[in-house]
Amino acid sequence: MSPALSSAPGIEAALAALRSPFVPGDQTTFISDLTVGELVLLEEIGYRPVDIVSGAGTASWNPQFTTSATEGNMWGRAIATAIDHARSGIVEELHRRRADGVVAMRFELERERANLLTCTMLGTAVQRISRGSGDEHPFATTLSARDFHLLVRGGYRPSGIVIGVSVVGFAARSAAQSLGLARDNAELSDQTTALYSAREQAMEMMEREAQGLGADGVVEVQLQERPVNALLTHAVEFIAVGTAVHRGPKGHQALAPEFQLTLDDQPDTTFDR
Amino acid sequence: MVASAPDSGSARPADADGGIGDLAFHPVSRERRTWTSDLSVAEAAAVRRVGLVPAGFVMGTAVMQLAATGGQVFGQWGGLGGPSVGGGGGYSESYPCAHSYAIGGGIGFGGTAGGAAEHYGFNIEDAVLAASLTEGYRLAIGRLRDEATEVGAHGVVGVDLLFENLVGSTGTATFFARGTAVKHPGGAPLPSPFLTNASGQHFERLIALGYVPAGIAVGVGSVYVQPNCQSRGDFTVPGSNQQIPRAILVARARARDSLAAMAHRVGEGVVHTEWTDRRVNRYAESWDQLTVAVGTSVRRYSTEAPPLDPRPVLPLRP
Repeated sequence: MSPALSSAPGIEAALAALRSPFVPGDQTTFISDLTVGELVLLEEIGYRPVDIVSGAGTASWNPQFTTSATEGNMWGRAIATAIDHARSGIVEELHRRRADGVVAMRFELERERANLLTCTMLGTAVQRISRGSGDEHPFATTLSARDFHLLVRGGYRPSGIVIGVSVVGFAARSAAQSLGLARDNAELSDQTTALYSAREQAMEMMEREAQGLGADGVVEVQLQERPVNALLTHAVEFIAVGTAVHRGPKGHQALAPEFQLTLDDQPDTTFDR
Repeated sequence: MVASAPDSGSARPADADGGIGDLAFHPVSRERRTWTSDLSVAEAAAVRRVGLVPAGFVMGTAVMQLAATGGQVFGQWGGLGGPSVGGGGGYSESYPCAHSYAIGGGIGFGGTAGGAAEHYGFNIEDAVLAASLTEGYRLAIGRLRDEATEVGAHGVVGVDLLFENLVGSTGTATFFARGTAVKHPGGAPLPSPFLTNASGQHFERLIALGYVPAGIAVGVGSVYVQPNCQSRGDFTVPGSNQQIPRAILVARARARDSLAAMAHRVGEGVVHTEWTDRRVNRYAESWDQLTVAVGTSVRRYSTEAPPLDPRPVLPLRP
């Protein structure tokens, strides 16, 4: 246990505080989904939680008949729209609460029935404790409070959430292949190619977005790839979501982690099998 | 609802010996031979490091008939599919058919005045259902606290709240609150034991960092959704959809507001909030968009904790 943990007065003082009745004043009660450890990690880098903020977006598209080298433009745009609406909803709430950013984001993509997709985001809005100009553009991130702490200590700032979405079609397999009658091992090069070009286009979009924010790079990219094989629709969806970051005024700060040799044994797996 | 106010929860008569209110089935005052807990070994160790010892596993439960309109026939909650009435003017929005059938007196289907709708949709806040759920949690939490008081505890850590459609049929829900009561040996009793949904280790951090849990805060929001054609996934009207995200956002906002209102009365802030978004199917294609938020309201009892400046470490073996 780190020595700092024993530094607060302890349980007697804590229980004593509960004996005196609490008088709710004009204080603003902060709401967060942080653990207390994360709360302290934020305080360490000069931020405090304000409120829970959330955003949501839904979009649908035509089931498109796709084959080799068709792009599901409307389809891809619908997915991007759903994520973008959730993202801008979050930023709008940050403005409304005069917050500087959001951390500990819960990001979910939910497939509704058929060709509908809902994207939701929920996180804790934070404010700088010593506020400077105050009218800087609030940042959105998909980072946890811990990663945000590390990022700031490393000399970087989040610029915003960036996304890349692409849907690319591929040719249907031959009748023999799809019936399972083919007896040779062969690469389905059309499908491999579709996946490659979907990746390329999605990452290109993400880079474009990051560039627009003046970012130096993108961290914590989450990828979701889904092949769709329906009667006349053969396509691959590629979704990438990450946090664009830029270097702060002091540049990169080396964290110089200490190597640690843990004395713990590996967890016993006798009963896990 | 205020979980930490001593008078909320069950209506226990002062002279009751083992009943919850006028229900006498609950053997609260049985002789406890040893302490029980649902703490892991590491949690138990963390609680002991703080200076508390486990006093016993405690639980509160309540089976509720949920408020619903009409006969208890359809849907998971019962009710004929519409939202519970009498909620008192909350949020509502209509989402007419996204096809333009109504234009020009109805081309295509129908052709009646105003046109026929393919699927007419609406969102209505269901404040009655939200109140039902809140009441269920309030009872369960109150009974948990009564049990904790009974075993002379100063608090309860690791409180889990859940609800299920376990007992009974449609239109009912079973609420549970359970956790481990802890006490400070030799300490004078508190007016009401503290409650937290934080684990033993997180509780240890709270105390060490100068915060004390004051109580559990619960917020519930509910919006009844009758999807229009677009929200059903009708592929002839693609595009950006407002109905589903609005339902989610309003349910979350209501949960947030009631959580905040409750937390404001007992502490300075809320940590460890667990958010649950749930879709509860009702009649046919409609559903209740439900948000439940449970957190721990905290007070700062000391500002003596020095800056931590946590050291980055890199374990050589995971």
